[in-house]
Amino acid sequence: MQTQIVFTFLVMISAYSFAKWRKVSVEISMFLAALAGGIFGAFTKTPPINQLARHLVEGSFAYLDVILIFVTATIFMAIISESGGVNYVVKNTIKYFYNKRLIALLLLMFITLIPGALTGAGSVSLLVVGAPVALALGYLGIKRRKVAAILFIIAGLSAAAPPVNIWAMILSAGTAIPYVGFELPLGIPVLLLGTFTVLTLGWKKQEKSTLESALKQMPQVPKGMKWWRVLIPFLVFFGLVIALRVWPFTLPVIGLPFQFVISAVFALILSPKKINIVKLSRDTVKKLTPLLSTMVAVGMLQQIMTATGVRGLISYAVISTPLILLFVSLAVIIPVSEGVFTYGGAAIIGIPLVWFLDSIGLHATVAIAGLSLLWPLGDGLPPTALIGRLSVMVSEYKRSYWSFLKSTWIPWVVITVVGLLMVIFSTQLDFLVKWSL
Amino acid sequence: MSRIIAYKILLVLFIGTITLIGGLQLYHHRHFQTPIVAGPGVTEVKKLSDYGPGLDGTITDTNVFFLKAEQEGGKMLIIANTHSNEPAALLSSLIFLENAVVEKGTLIIIPQFNNSGGRNTRSGDGYPLYFEIKTHWGKKRFRMGNRVASPLDQWPDPDVYVHYPDRQLLSYLDIRNTNRTWPGRPDGALMEKLTYAAMELIRKENVDLVIDIHGAETMFPVTNCIVAPEKSMRIATMTSLTLKAMEGFDNHVEPSPSGFRGLSHREIGDFSDALPFLLEAPLPFLDQPTGPKTEDLLLNGKDPFLLKLSKKGKLFVPYDENGWPMSKRVGQHCSAVLEIAKQFTRKNPEKALLISNTPRYKQVVKNGIGSYFKDPSKAKKENIFHN
Repeated sequence: MQTQIVFTFLVMISAYSFAKWRKVSVEISMFLAALAGGIFGAFTKTPPINQLARHLVEGSFAYLDVILIFVTATIFMAIISESGGVNYVVKNTIKYFYNKRLIALLLLMFITLIPGALTGAGSVSLLVVGAPVALALGYLGIKRRKVAAILFIIAGLSAAAPPVNIWAMILSAGTAIPYVGFELPLGIPVLLLGTFTVLTLGWKKQEKSTLESALKQMPQVPKGMKWWRVLIPFLVFFGLVIALRVWPFTLPVIGLPFQFVISAVFALILSPKKINIVKLSRDTVKKLTPLLSTMVAVGMLQQIMTATGVRGLISYAVISTPLILLFVSLAVIIPVSEGVFTYGGAAIIGIPLVWFLDSIGLHATVAIAGLSLLWPLGDGLPPTALIGRLSVMVSEYKRSYWSFLKSTWIPWVVITVVGLLMVIFSTQLDFLVKWSL
Repeated sequence: MSRIIAYKILLVLFIGTITLIGGLQLYHHRHFQTPIVAGPGVTEVKKLSDYGPGLDGTITDTNVFFLKAEQEGGKMLIIANTHSNEPAALLSSLIFLENAVVEKGTLIIIPQFNNSGGRNTRSGDGYPLYFEIKTHWGKKRFRMGNRVASPLDQWPDPDVYVHYPDRQLLSYLDIRNTNRTWPGRPDGALMEKLTYAAMELIRKENVDLVIDIHGAETMFPVTNCIVAPEKSMRIATMTSLTLKAMEGFDNHVEPSPSGFRGLSHREIGDFSDALPFLLEAPLPFLDQPTGPKTEDLLLNGKDPFLLKLSKKGKLFVPYDENGWPMSKRVGQHCSAVLEIAKQFTRKNPEKALLISNTPRYKQVVKNGIGSYFKDPSKAKKENIFHN
């Protein structure tokens, strides 16, 4: 059985590599890898050939909720942008904080952290505030490559930040550990690492600019745009998020996508200029299609890998690794699992890993928090590179993806070291959990 | 017609065909019915909606079987398929339902507690849609379900699930997990209504013992055990010791953590007078490092990766070439349920609960699970029930 699983894995890798070599897109390459793995597995009825279509269809729905969030959040932000709200925010950020660099950088970091922290998705941070923050960083004299790098790291940290951390939630649910006590083990490192990142990558002014020239270069703000027109849709969104936490037993569950839709309606009503919502929605979905289809293909791939035993093989390899080597290799394994499976990596590798770490006496909550810092790094790695691609997109960085990724190496290494130390010394850090409760 | 348009048409046809075939299989799974044959001990069948609002007419409503003796005594409720991907629970409850005769007291059985979860699949996890148990009259087919209720029945999920009434934050998925929504509420989400109705049943029927049957990974420390809160601890401990001494299998006791909310073994005890117990038997199928997720793995529990990990001491249960067959798991559950009733009776003779005609561990392992299932084609129509 094991030989057959290894061969299935090789077939999937070959199919993916061949498709990439033929310059096929990431999402179709992943679909072809899943299809090839499924057909090869069918020779030994793992899965039976008459179940292959079902597995592909079933897997394609694995991330339907995430897809709906992407679509609605992006349409919401596109309305803000089209109404001139983005330009308005950027202009005022630069106007008031241009000469107070530290405050400006920290403020922009907080703005980026909030949406992801509340939703558990770094992509939402980028979709909601990514574009205006990117422009503001650009006007502060930071090169686009570093702007993309800052956005990638901060958006990743926002996903790890409390109160909502999807990786920790998946691991907690899968290991029967309550999702409590994560506030400080996640909050403190996220704030420290975020500050380190914006200062390391953004402190140095690399491009010459003055406040006057920056203000001159800025796009025109539509007549009638006021701060409340921008603020109210965001207040509606965050108000709904907070209200549903404060009164969970009174208000109905409406879900994040609908919360974005409600906020989008407010943004549309408050826009000082008329917006063709049908055209805007169509354009937005068209722009998002590669990302959405990546999520569909990831689900299919994950399903086929499980049905064929490839996922088990990977999981087995991780758990069988000697302890010291395991700790060192986590620096690679965790981000790579995210790059391949997105959130699925937490289930495939994370759950057995946390049980194993718990069984050798480490503190599970702190260890999960430490691992949660490593997973978002993988959102910059192919094949999915979800947050990485969005960072590049919103910062309008046009050169090679790898040159962007290389510029993240300093915070990447520091985050990795901090995450690993939190796992290794989780028992000594358990006071963070106690103080959170 | 240009080549690109021709390719696009072909691609749409290909995807359309896959979607149609796969979609029909999933539709059939959701609507597949397994007949349940009420045994000689069944005296009444109710619906859970009789006890709580908001379930009537929904897919969540489920059958509640009463096996009542002429002599008054203690009352025990067995809940199965809280997690529908842990099928030893359903099979064990059906053995009781189709065979047990209650001589004193009342046995209440809900074999398909999370009926929505039983009609759901686990997207991304590659489960088989069905599994079959061999019987002397053929094969009895069951749906393989999911841990949580179907989003077709309860959707959308919140960004984070705030547990009622403790306000503990849980994973967003847990709002569809009927072992996180206890004690429930009458005006909450559908799964909260379900657990609320079960709490009402427990309170209105003055149930003394509640047993929620589950299965857990071999790499999960809380496996092969009885989970019990403080108030059930004495009976759980006596059951565990007796099973080890008399029947030769381990079933250690795990304390129910008071800080982890929403679980049956915690909330039922806190919100009623009943003594709750949660039974866990090893379920290798659920482990992450396994080979393909096949029906064979589900039924026999044999896996080469788990065997290697066992040799490295990384499992929490003994594991060898024989795996963990379904009959062993179901047998353990049968014995544990009977022993809990026996220990309760010993401690509370005025509320005795006497159950006969139900096999114990060794009999189930020897005869096979299927030998305890009745042929629906030969049963009286009024004795066959579907959810």
